[in-house]
Amino acid sequence: MWRFAGKRALAALLVLFAISVLVFLIFFATPGIDPAARIAGRNASQETLTQVRASFGFDRPIWVQYGLMMQHLFINRDLTSFVNRGSQVIPQVMQAIPVTLSLVFGAALIWVVLALIMGVAATAARGTVIDPLILVIGVIGVSLPVFWLGEVVNLVTQSRLHDTVFAWVPQLGYVPLTDGVGPWALHLLFPWLTLAVLYAGIYARVLRSEMVASMNEDYVRMARAKGIGETRVLIRHSLRTSMISIVSLFGLDFGALIGGAALLTEVVFGLQGVGKLTYDSLQNFDLPVILACVLYASFFVVLANFIVDLLYAWLDPRVRHV
Amino acid sequence: MTTLDTERAEVPSSPTAGPWRTAWRDLRRNKVAMGSLVVLIIIVLACIAAPLYESSIAHTDAFTSNVAGTITINGQTVPVLEPSTEGLGLGVNPIAPTWTAQYFLGSDNQGRDVASRILYGGRNTLIIGFASAILCCVLAGIIGIVSGFFGRGVDAVLSRGLDVLWAFPVYLLAICLSVVLISSSLTIGPVTLSSASILLPIVIIGIVYVPYVARPIRGQVMSLREREFVQAAVGAGAPDMRLLRREILPNVLPTIIVFLPLMAAINMLTEAALSFLSIGVQPPDSSWGTIVNDGVGLLYTRPWVAIAPGILLAITAVTLNLLGDGVRDALDPKARLRGAA
Amino acid sequence: MRLHRIATVGVSLLAVGALAACSSGSSPSPSGSSGAAASSASAVPSGSASVGNDSDVRPYDPAHAGGTLTLLAKGAAGTLDPKVNYTLQFWQLYQGTYDGLTAFKHVDGEGSFTVVPDLAESIPDTTNGGKTYVFKLRQGIKFSDGADLTTDDVVSSFQRIFKVSSPTAGSFYNGIVGADACIKAPETCTLEGGVVGDKTAGTVTINLTAPDPEFLYKLSVPHAAINPKSAPTKDAGNTPIPTTGAYMFKSYDPNTALVMVRNPNFKEWSRAAQPAGYPDEIDYKFGLTVEAEVTAVENNQANWLYDPPPADRLAEIGSKYASQVHVNQLTAFWYLPLNVNLAPFDNLKARQAVNWAIDRNAIVKLYGGANLAQPVCTILPPGFPGYEANCQYTNPAGDTWQGADLEKAKQLVTESGTAGQEVTVIVADDEVNKAVGEYVQSVLNQIGYKAKVKAISGNIQFTYIQNSNNKVQISVTQWYQDYPAASDFLNVLLGCASFTPGSDSSINMSGFCDKKIQAQMDDALKTEQTSFDEANKKWAAVDKAMMEQSPMVPVMTPKLIDFISKDTGNYQFSKQFYMLVDQLWVK
Repeated sequence: MWRFAGKRALAALLVLFAISVLVFLIFFATPGIDPAARIAGRNASQETLTQVRASFGFDRPIWVQYGLMMQHLFINRDLTSFVNRGSQVIPQVMQAIPVTLSLVFGAALIWVVLALIMGVAATAARGTVIDPLILVIGVIGVSLPVFWLGEVVNLVTQSRLHDTVFAWVPQLGYVPLTDGVGPWALHLLFPWLTLAVLYAGIYARVLRSEMVASMNEDYVRMARAKGIGETRVLIRHSLRTSMISIVSLFGLDFGALIGGAALLTEVVFGLQGVGKLTYDSLQNFDLPVILACVLYASFFVVLANFIVDLLYAWLDPRVRHV
Repeated sequence: MTTLDTERAEVPSSPTAGPWRTAWRDLRRNKVAMGSLVVLIIIVLACIAAPLYESSIAHTDAFTSNVAGTITINGQTVPVLEPSTEGLGLGVNPIAPTWTAQYFLGSDNQGRDVASRILYGGRNTLIIGFASAILCCVLAGIIGIVSGFFGRGVDAVLSRGLDVLWAFPVYLLAICLSVVLISSSLTIGPVTLSSASILLPIVIIGIVYVPYVARPIRGQVMSLREREFVQAAVGAGAPDMRLLRREILPNVLPTIIVFLPLMAAINMLTEAALSFLSIGVQPPDSSWGTIVNDGVGLLYTRPWVAIAPGILLAITAVTLNLLGDGVRDALDPKARLRGAA
Repeated sequence: MRLHRIATVGVSLLAVGALAACSSGSSPSPSGSSGAAASSASAVPSGSASVGNDSDVRPYDPAHAGGTLTLLAKGAAGTLDPKVNYTLQFWQLYQGTYDGLTAFKHVDGEGSFTVVPDLAESIPDTTNGGKTYVFKLRQGIKFSDGADLTTDDVVSSFQRIFKVSSPTAGSFYNGIVGADACIKAPETCTLEGGVVGDKTAGTVTINLTAPDPEFLYKLSVPHAAINPKSAPTKDAGNTPIPTTGAYMFKSYDPNTALVMVRNPNFKEWSRAAQPAGYPDEIDYKFGLTVEAEVTAVENNQANWLYDPPPADRLAEIGSKYASQVHVNQLTAFWYLPLNVNLAPFDNLKARQAVNWAIDRNAIVKLYGGANLAQPVCTILPPGFPGYEANCQYTNPAGDTWQGADLEKAKQLVTESGTAGQEVTVIVADDEVNKAVGEYVQSVLNQIGYKAKVKAISGNIQFTYIQNSNNKVQISVTQWYQDYPAASDFLNVLLGCASFTPGSDSSINMSGFCDKKIQAQMDDALKTEQTSFDEANKKWAAVDKAMMEQSPMVPVMTPKLIDFISKDTGNYQFSKQFYMLVDQLWVK
């Protein structure tokens, strides 16, 4: 177990290193990215440009810059932004984390519950018209572009019906949990729903498909033969082994979302999370912030996959660990 | 009498139909799947017929900007982009859906006919969506099966590769790539890709989602590997390739088939995001995703510009998934055994 | 319309390398200065600013004092340091916080372009042939941290301009004696002989190397604000520097908000130069999308938004909320620079074809309609000194632009032999710029080219199109100006000195350098020292000559929309720094 964890930890470091190098290379391979002119100010003189370049270390070779940036990020922990001079990157990311976590946990809870209900119901109702109907609803959710959906939600709740039906909807933005669970949840309600709609359909589809396939398996037939009721068969026998695919997907999605993949949702609803921070830094070509956000996100992806791999063995005892 | 019955019961209904023909026969019987196939074919044909629509029915240009143009409705000549006259007279609104042959769904902010653009755009969306989904599922299938089956070192390397891929900042790559491709083209071997080439989004989207499909497959294969029938085949001395081909693949295929239309739906949307960053479909070409992007900017005044392609995206995704379900059910012999749908 | 960051331009009549302001696209970019729109008046005061009467200064009404003003913007504007920040977004805030020796009057309308004494008691007459100014510093002024304002602070502030490498150090302030040494070696800058303080007499003497009629304007912009001598010698970034004005900066988080509160040590000394403000606190919040900002102002959840309203909300706010909307003319223009050193626009006929083909009314429509912009046909905007109505590319012919001529354009393209060539239009990726880019692409296709349009992030588009290594053939960009001097448009945008090949800082994007026209410009510059009217006539001739060469396609002049919530009052618009933020009533 510990050897396994140790090997995975090493592999994780390798993954993070690879990503950081890739980000760096992509950034510097792009023409027009040179931040010196933008930092120096419009129409700055050539001398000013040179001075700015030197003060940021842009005139050093690329591996030296990489080393320095990594040093500032991990060892000194005082890495500063290119765009907001003097603004430290790590506090920015730390400030954004609770917002993203709040958004993702709530949405994940909602979509998993929804998907379980939809998936089990579709399996139970297979052969009737309800099965494809549930599928249709789910797939429509997946086909909706996130940004559009968010804007429509805002259009309805903040603008058109704000004075009547949706007068209880608060202003856009994030309210920390410390200010009260009620306000916190109320501000996040529509972001949660918007994000959940996108994922519920996928999970319901996959779950239903796995469960229907497992309905024909020997162990299920065995359970039926023993006289166990259909509901129990569904939930206790079929559901558990069908969860493997779901758990894989969830690990990928959850890991990515914590890392900031919900950026469009955060942008539309004015939530200053890691996703929005990443989005802004990409628009600004702010390399230190981009690097910090990408590494943060990668860490969670690796962690999530690690946990999922551990879960396989629990879900399906027949799976042996490598 | 009894003997005759028994005999009859044992004789197969026709000269033995192979598995593919049986599957096709089952599919044809599945009304929902057939209905979906018909709808899909209609959509594809409509998109193919886009130039016909443009020239014979709509008589409007789907690609040239028509900002200063006018059209005649009910004998009145109205500008396609109408300046607002209320209050301070700020803003200019594209014409609303006319529900007639010309500007059926109204105009976009460049004065172009949205309905024509949707038909032309459908080609790009469908091609990119399907091609990238197929690429993704094929690659993911191979990687997932190999990784799950062989385990150990192979799995470790492939899985970490998938981790890097999934954690990779695709947006950054897309933004930087679009800047690089402004002046130069990308040459990989014999292939030269300019930023407008649709191969680019197909490859990028196809590769980026590989982990999403590969990991569930890998998990399934790991579970399958321990099953009795596989163990039995191993015990009988079957070589790996045969195991993969005859035991593993057929059991994993249904999962892949479920993912295929799902990924097609997701990919059609991801294509919109890439086009927004100037990779793939470039103006004045359109795709359903780019029309939705344009439409979001018109949401408060002309919501139909974003709703119409959205509806088409949803219909295509739903029919693909229904069809996929039908195919999967038809191919799964155990489903027939149980008599379940 | 300016989107986020704008660079301002300062003009030094003597230094040909004047700075220019340009505004870039929507995304926040770190540099940029404010553009001031100035329509202008006649001669720039030389030496003494007209103080004039202060009848346009509104008296203080204590009944409306108090409350919190909430402002919204998509993003922050970079550093808070007034000597480095070059964006309109923050220059608007510096008016109520920082003071220079002189200031632009905080009033609505024409008077906003007048320079009045601020930290100086009065505006002195120049001596020594216009090269020496002796300012008497006002007594009793304290910084927001309690320290007294002394002549030492003034001297160190001028040195600081060079020490922090202010963007305008080399263009506005290089006329000060000792500036050359400071530009070469900023860390050891002393400005010896240039800025001399006399503590006992309470005076500061500034010596220039040559007379500069623009100098008082340069003293009035935030780059010349007086900071305490304890201010850091490098860019202060997010850390606020103590202020002398009515407000101080309490906190600044570029991802969330900027908070200003009343300066506890402030006592109003001149209502024209630094009026007491009304709100007790100003919260400038960042992070909402522009659509959400408009909705927030409509719902009375915020007082004002900085960003221009999106196209699909204009009709709504112009009709339902018309009483809360203020539209003001800007002295700025949108144009398409054509690279004269690259095919196909190295060919004169090809360039003229584009000028003939572009339907300016179409672009006006894409911007928001005829009530928000006007087509232009000259480089100098209408009403600007040096502007003379004439249009060489209109059909039917006339003094102002009436219509495009596609047929003529197609003919010119064929004659030029460049037909069928590939052209890429580079634009910023915000809504309006993208729409204009698509339109331009469509027109180029119609006249015979194979055109593509590329939208890149507004943050890098502006520097990208300046660098000749990127081989940009045509792009869409904007230019704002803050002093009413024609050289600021003509000499800066198309002068030979503004073109540096291979640099991100090369405002002359066309790469245009015509010796004859440059000689005409140098002549006009010289004439400014004697007679502005004569000089303006020469500038008009320069404009005409340039348009004949067609190195750019001037498209339109925009207007600025200020949308305020229904509970906000006392809106005033200064042509220099736009809406007077701290003079708004929230009660």
